[in-house]
Amino acid sequence: MFFQLGWRNIWRNRRRTLVILTAVVIGVWSMIFLSSLMRGVADQFVSNGIKTLTGHIQVHHTGYREDPVVENSIKNPAGVEAVLTAVLPPEAQWAPRVRVNAVASNARHSTGITMVGIDPSREAGVSFIGEAITEGRYLKSDDPYGIVVGKALVKKFETKVGRKLVLMSQDTEGETASRAFRIVGVYRAEMQATEKQFAFVSMPAAQQMLNLSHGISEVAVLLAEHGQAMQVANTLRAELSADEYEVNTWQELLPMGSAIMKIYDWFIFIWFLVVFIAMGFGIVNTTLMAVFERVREFGLLKALGMKPWWIVKEVLIESFCLLILGMVIGNAAGFVSVLAISRTGIDLSALAAGMEYWGMSRVIYPHILGQDVMMANLVVFILGLVVSLYPAIKASRFTPVEALAHT
Amino acid sequence: MDIVKCTKVTKTYRQDTVVVRALSGASLSIQEGGFVAIAGPSGSGKTTLLNIIGGLDYADSGRVVVDGNVLTDMSQSALAHLRLHKVGFVFQAYNLIPVLSALENVEFVMLLQGVPPAERRERAKAILDDVGLGGMYDRRPAELSGGQQQRVAVARSIVSNPSIVLADEPTANLDSKTGASLLEIMQEMNEKKGVTFIFSTHDKMVMDYARRLIYLRDGRIVEDKIRNG
Amino acid sequence: MSIDLKMAWRNIWRHPRRAILTMAAIAFATVLLVFMLSWQFGSYDTMINAAVKVHTGHLQVQAAGYHEQQNMHLVVPDPVSVSRLLDDIPDVAAHTARATAFSLVSSHERTYGVAVRGIDPTKEAQVTTVGQVIRQGKYLSDDDAAQALVGGLLAKNLRVGVGDELVLLGQGRDGSIAATVVQVAGIFSYGQDELDRNVIYIPLPYFQEVYSMQGAVHEVVVLGTSLEAVPRIKRSVSAELKTIDKKNKLVVLDWMELMPGLIQSIQMDLISGFIMYLILIIVVAFSILNTFLMVIFERTREFGVFMALGTTPGRLTRLLLLESTTLTLLGTAMGIVAGSLVTWYFQVHGIVISGTSEMLQQYGLPERMYPQLSTLSIAVGAGLVLAITLAAALYPALKVRRLRPVEAMRAV
Ligand SMILES: Nc1ncnc2c1ncn2[C@@H]1O[C@H](COP(=O)(O)OP(=O)(O)OP(=O)(O)O)[C@@H](O)[C@H]1O
Ligand SMILES: [Mg+2]
Repeated sequence: MFFQLGWRNIWRNRRRTLVILTAVVIGVWSMIFLSSLMRGVADQFVSNGIKTLTGHIQVHHTGYREDPVVENSIKNPAGVEAVLTAVLPPEAQWAPRVRVNAVASNARHSTGITMVGIDPSREAGVSFIGEAITEGRYLKSDDPYGIVVGKALVKKFETKVGRKLVLMSQDTEGETASRAFRIVGVYRAEMQATEKQFAFVSMPAAQQMLNLSHGISEVAVLLAEHGQAMQVANTLRAELSADEYEVNTWQELLPMGSAIMKIYDWFIFIWFLVVFIAMGFGIVNTTLMAVFERVREFGLLKALGMKPWWIVKEVLIESFCLLILGMVIGNAAGFVSVLAISRTGIDLSALAAGMEYWGMSRVIYPHILGQDVMMANLVVFILGLVVSLYPAIKASRFTPVEALAHT
Repeated sequence: MDIVKCTKVTKTYRQDTVVVRALSGASLSIQEGGFVAIAGPSGSGKTTLLNIIGGLDYADSGRVVVDGNVLTDMSQSALAHLRLHKVGFVFQAYNLIPVLSALENVEFVMLLQGVPPAERRERAKAILDDVGLGGMYDRRPAELSGGQQQRVAVARSIVSNPSIVLADEPTANLDSKTGASLLEIMQEMNEKKGVTFIFSTHDKMVMDYARRLIYLRDGRIVEDKIRNG
Repeated sequence: MSIDLKMAWRNIWRHPRRAILTMAAIAFATVLLVFMLSWQFGSYDTMINAAVKVHTGHLQVQAAGYHEQQNMHLVVPDPVSVSRLLDDIPDVAAHTARATAFSLVSSHERTYGVAVRGIDPTKEAQVTTVGQVIRQGKYLSDDDAAQALVGGLLAKNLRVGVGDELVLLGQGRDGSIAATVVQVAGIFSYGQDELDRNVIYIPLPYFQEVYSMQGAVHEVVVLGTSLEAVPRIKRSVSAELKTIDKKNKLVVLDWMELMPGLIQSIQMDLISGFIMYLILIIVVAFSILNTFLMVIFERTREFGVFMALGTTPGRLTRLLLLESTTLTLLGTAMGIVAGSLVTWYFQVHGIVISGTSEMLQQYGLPERMYPQLSTLSIAVGAGLVLAITLAAALYPALKVRRLRPVEAMRAV
């Protein structure tokens, strides 16, 4: 009954209601849409890191992170692998790696890189490299001299598939170890820096070159969701001796990613507040106008013995109807526009170097987060009602005398 | 000379499906310097006729000539120009611009006409003195009584030296004593300045001031008599 | 004051509460924009200056192709004449020459591949901040020879400290093996992992000797008196270079070409900022549109009187626009004053966003950032707000033109 009345009242002046409704709709839409874009950016940043070898969880020999050399490798990977098979959730993937700093050189050039020895089929399930080959082929599990390098490195080295590339590093004895590889494949990555940094060889080739026998540097684990990392890491920690193994989640491995996510949390909340304030002025003003037009009506109701509280309630219910309608349309518009670009994303290739400067991808895919949607709607709804209190209380204070004097 | 000449003027209003014939073939001519009352029951078409003569509205058919201008052929902006220079209006109520003082309300018309400020001020003061509002130049409409507001409206309507002043029930919101004094002022202006006044009314007392009385009924002129004056 | 202006002013204050709310909404948007634009412009300055001062300088003279390939054979063969030429160009504040070679660096225990840079200690300190980030030991001096500055992370990886020896092994310009032993003179830390992990500095003359550079360098780095002077300097350097570089092998690159990512990331920030501001102002515009619209509803009869008096629709529109413009201008003016004060406060005290300092450091930025109040940020901020709110005011003002006198008079 009250709601019917409220609903009818807001449509007494259709145009005015439509105008303020538009403000609420655009506001809510921008909250949903822009927050999903910002989440998309932060997400991509983290996903990039995770796909570019970090994974969700890494297991190392204690001390490797401080001092990433072959001495600090996992000597007995079989033990770790047994634990992983036993403990990880079924949809999780993992891959062992040998990872060392090395120098790559050919006749004309040389530069520092990271050599990564991989189990090609396992690695494909964990990181980007499995689907990133654009020329030549991917590694085979026992490729003795095959190497896969990034497009940017190939360009810098003025080389191509089929040519030789010499890697040099330190073996377990601290001696210089070198091995001549042949480029079998070229990969592209989201960022040029990645293409310049990583060169992939097969696990046996790396182990042989570094005199590692069966040792590995790390195991990377990819889970179904970013959010599971903490919990799975804890179970792993319980199973693996802390003296020998270190288990880290992506939050620890990518401090920049976590920092960016935290900043965006704040930024999104502030954006919500700012947009709300922008429409809050309109809500107060419009409600005030509506209330002042009805001075007589409210005065009369009071003369008839209506309690002030009822008038407050009536005005608040009108705001409520307006806010709910605006939120429904705004949310719908937000979801629809996110859906519309979710396939193609927003392509920022024109600013690729700028994106790379901050370590971000060229294409932004929006990502709606339940917590943002809830926060946006709560901000609009609660603050919307709070600011409507002012006109509502104003209306409840009109005296019958004032009402009759008002023309 | 005829300052107003209407020939077979008709006007129909349509509201949804209902068709109201507000004027059905009204013809009349009014001579310069007249002081004419248009009377008739409510809904007889008085306001409609005055609006059409004043160029606020178009007739559906027939011909309206005011001071040599054929209104029926004129554009909106030409009509605005005509109203500014040839016609003064006094309405029943809410005549004045609420944010302007009495003096400024009177000045405003001359401002539109492009009268220089000093002259504007002088003339406005003089005319307000004429209608007996000497001490109230700076009062806003809200600070004036209904009768005083109507006097400002009369002052404003004649200050631009129009050919005719149209007053639609100028006394309807006034008590009879205030109404009578407003009529006296209008009469005085008519005599002093020779401006033609046409006003509508229901009120017998007001009709008595007129020198010519035109009766409307159902959009037709049913009686037109010259009174001794 | 003309009657028109008087009317506009008095009409605004017919509903003081409404007028104040409307102006507050406009002022709010203006404050936000002035502050945010000042913040953005300020941070761009900081970013550019930081990047320029850490490494690239404002401009560099290099061999064509060196920037893309970093190939040590692409050299500036005669840096002395380039530097003589630079001495005579106005607006050049300082310049220095550098050479870089990729090398293996080994301590007793470890070997890494790094970029070894030869720098002119005195001149380098005038161009970049390297002299100010020495955390242990000391900076290089001009008489030093086999002395090196090592990045903090690299020193940790190599397990060396000040005074320890390092073996450098690389290839000279002539293809010969370049090998030497240097002593760690100092350890630097920029806070940017990229540099702290991968770079060693040695004195340029010593570098040229070890890597058989035959007097050549890879880049001549120029610092201008200001960012604005860069295009001017670039023009004169390009012109002058022709006199000594007959074969056209040298190029002048400015900081935008040296760091395309930086300028693009600024553009990206500007674009995304503007999209947000636009959305915000549109919300504000709809918030206040009702104020302007109400005029039409409430004052219809008054407009009827205006028209009966012979006011043309055009003039009526002008009157209404004058009213809304005055209101909007008042709001914007309040916003400019408040926005400038807020910005100015933070310009003096700076802003630290907690939890971001680590991240900012990685991009070479200080943790305390300062907005930069400027006529540009005020003009752009207030201009955007004005333009869009006035567009909102236009709708009712134009709508009044359709009003017919008789209809208007019938409204109460
Ligand atoms: N805009 C309009 N739309 C529809 N009908 C109208 C309109 N204006 C006038 N009418 C109708 O036209 C007829 C004449 O109206 P008008 O206002 O001229 O009468 P009036 O003589 O002035 O009456 P009153 O003495 O009540 O003022 C009436 O029946 C009225 O209802
Ligand atoms: Mg009437």
